[in-house]
Amino acid sequence: MIRARTLTDARQQAHSNAELNWWIFMRISGLVLVFLILGHIYMTFIQVSESDATYIAVVNKLQQPAWKFYDWLILSLSMLHGVNGARYSIEDYVRSRPNRAWVKTIFYTISALIFTLGTIGLFSI
Amino acid sequence: MYRGREGQWAWMLHRLSGLAILAYLLIHVISISLFVFGERAYMAVHTTYELPIFSLGLIAVTAGVVYHSLNGLRIIMMDFTGRGVAYQRQMFYAVLGLTVLATAYTAFVVIGRLIGGEA
Repeated sequence: MIRARTLTDARQQAHSNAELNWWIFMRISGLVLVFLILGHIYMTFIQVSESDATYIAVVNKLQQPAWKFYDWLILSLSMLHGVNGARYSIEDYVRSRPNRAWVKTIFYTISALIFTLGTIGLFSI
Repeated sequence: MYRGREGQWAWMLHRLSGLAILAYLLIHVISISLFVFGERAYMAVHTTYELPIFSLGLIAVTAGVVYHSLNGLRIIMMDFTGRGVAYQRQMFYAVLGLTVLATAYTAFVVIGRLIGGEA
């Protein structure tokens, strides 16, 4: 099967509505993440040095609702975008059905735990 | 239809950079979330990140993110504009060029800071 290159192709190739929705989600979230993440990298890595990211600095920044929301939007969008991207890879390279199920179960569990930890962290202050 | 040419390399780099960024993201969320366990736990890990090797690693992460972002925009152009696919090869070289420029700028700033004795 050739890769879907237009929305029409994707609609015809998608096995289910869910698959088509993920295809659209990857593009929309990607577009949003370009600005969110390049902005985040610029502000927290290029503009300031690594040693500036002290405990106090992180706590002070996250006390502001705007940054809390900005970071949580990055966290949730990039988790969904990244985990779905990794799912494409797992489905391409893990050939046997039982192995694929196990790899996905373990991977989704770890990702969900890390997402929960990040969310609790963000909203605990 | 893409095999062995720019399109395939673009796709392969997109997948590799995506998986690398995801691995970085998971570790980044864990280490930054350590502040919920207090200053000691956070700083114990964070002082390690002040070693120069981690700053150099961040330059690599930035390169991966810039490539993945720009190539993602290239994919969107191919998927949602009528003329996108016709220019996919030119857009790939534009993506590579911009990635090299952005990475060079990042490296210039960060390595300059490292030489100045700042992490």
